[in-house]
Amino acid sequence: MSVELNGSVATIVSEEPLIIQNPKNWYHAHSYGGWGRFFKGLRQGKLLATRCTNSACAEKRLWLPPRCECPDCWHPTEWVEAPTIGEVFTHSTVKYPGAPFRASTPCPLISVAIEGVCTKLMSYLKEGTPRMGLPIRAVFNRERPTNTILDLAWVPR
Amino acid sequence: MIRLSRNNLRIPKFQRPVFVVGAGMTDFRKRYPEKNTCQLCMEAIRMAVEENDLKVSPEEYRRSVNWCVYSQFADHFGDQLLAAAKVHDYLGFDPLGNIEVKTGGATGGSAVLAAAQAIASGYASCVPVVGWERMDEVSTKVGNSYIASAACKDFESELGWMYASYYALMAQRYQYENNVPRETLAKIACKNHEYARFSPYSQNPGHYTVEDILKNDIVSDPLSFLECCVMSVGAAVLLLADEETAYRLTDHPVQLTAICGGTHTLRTADRRHMPILLLPNETEETYADYFQGRRYEWPGFSSFLATRMAAYLAFNMAGIKDPVEDLDLLETHDAFTISDIQTYEDLGLRPYGRGREFIDSGDAYYEGRLPTNMSGGLIGTMHAVGATGIFQLGELFWQLNGWWDKFHADPARWARYGKQKPSDFRSLQVPGARRGCAVSHAGTGSHVTVAVMERT
Repeated sequence: MSVELNGSVATIVSEEPLIIQNPKNWYHAHSYGGWGRFFKGLRQGKLLATRCTNSACAEKRLWLPPRCECPDCWHPTEWVEAPTIGEVFTHSTVKYPGAPFRASTPCPLISVAIEGVCTKLMSYLKEGTPRMGLPIRAVFNRERPTNTILDLAWVPR
Repeated sequence: MIRLSRNNLRIPKFQRPVFVVGAGMTDFRKRYPEKNTCQLCMEAIRMAVEENDLKVSPEEYRRSVNWCVYSQFADHFGDQLLAAAKVHDYLGFDPLGNIEVKTGGATGGSAVLAAAQAIASGYASCVPVVGWERMDEVSTKVGNSYIASAACKDFESELGWMYASYYALMAQRYQYENNVPRETLAKIACKNHEYARFSPYSQNPGHYTVEDILKNDIVSDPLSFLECCVMSVGAAVLLLADEETAYRLTDHPVQLTAICGGTHTLRTADRRHMPILLLPNETEETYADYFQGRRYEWPGFSSFLATRMAAYLAFNMAGIKDPVEDLDLLETHDAFTISDIQTYEDLGLRPYGRGREFIDSGDAYYEGRLPTNMSGGLIGTMHAVGATGIFQLGELFWQLNGWWDKFHADPARWARYGKQKPSDFRSLQVPGARRGCAVSHAGTGSHVTVAVMERT
């Protein structure tokens, strides 16, 4: 019996000290679970948020990013359409992003303040120059959706 | 609105005192292919046991140990799950029990917290805390995306794959609310790069002017490259023990009087407001005029509730009334210049909105009232993430024992790392330092520990 080595030979990066390449090329099948509805909503041009259904719960505002359960009372939440207008709460234009970034650079990242929402969703400004308090409206990437948070962006209004 | 109960805010207690008896580290480099992770950890623990005047041999120390704590931020980087088991074996600690701790950038602080809990409860009497990170297997751009995997991958990571950007969003808001000049932020970068020049362990030392920092290329506005922490390879070790073991091992133990943790949402977006949690040196009166103009909620994007929570617990636990007066040394997690200013406020060094005064007044410098990051910090010296919180406490341990020169000034130590001691070297030993504090910090403030160490 003889044993053969299959596959390609590891590429050497450096001989001294010895460094080899460990290749990786596979994908993760990532589950959005209950949050999938949010991403499907973006395809339909809807900004879907959640609200606690417990009348005794003190948090009456919307969660965006959505949560299927309320973090304060653990009751289920209900899906509602959030307003698609807001204001820039803060901004930073990223010039040197990490490797997998799929948008062009420089890209103005923004945090969005929306009336009645208890969070300040992170997103990006697709057109225009960001400034504090800039009135903006949501736009949706429905042509070739990435099915990620990049399918939501904002433009000045 | 966040509501906290008295039970939520219970001040932690140790059932028995916890001591640090030794500290060790490697030097820190962008790439370190000459040594694998196991070797780096061996080098750091050997320094901790062999070079801190312990009264025992490495073999005797090893026979004193009854529990081990390991600290590595990201399996992604080392590309080895259960790396702690390899390190544990390599250091000769099998079959003793161990645990590996993970809380992002605060992993080092949390690992020391876990070890302290083991000793304080009586579970163990002698515990090494071993931390490392190996960030050189991938390019810097891929490394940044690995780090951004510690943001929310569903709703935030895709937006830049860059933690500097997530901090920059906070920086812009902080500056909008508090009007901090860019020059003040740049001063923090100058200070920490400068102090790193006097550390043989440092990766990114440099003598820069404020102008140099401001002219430096921008990663994500307003933060320039020189205002961001380094990405490092290296290891650090801290040796913890109960009182009886500590005095058997050394004549120079330093007491860990408090180490406490706080958290806040991983997504900065989800930070709801609450009344300001007051430290012992603050009253309602301190903030009578705070909420006006552009400031209408706390913690918002300008403050780290996790740091304030950890400081509230640790300062009350250690009996610290006024941190600037009661502490002699501070090590902050200066991942970015802006987060340092925010941290000054969270620690109560200045009231919220006035953090810049801590650096502008000179308090934060070697000559100031509370010398901060004499180690060179994360901007100047290292951020081998799993090692960072341990490195900070190691530097404090040496300072409090009056051993800073021993571990930084000897030309042979510089030569050990292939470096030459600078001709304009100066000692950063803080004379008579008795009490120090270190802040270990993750995410945009998702996990924070605050530790207080005191010379006995």
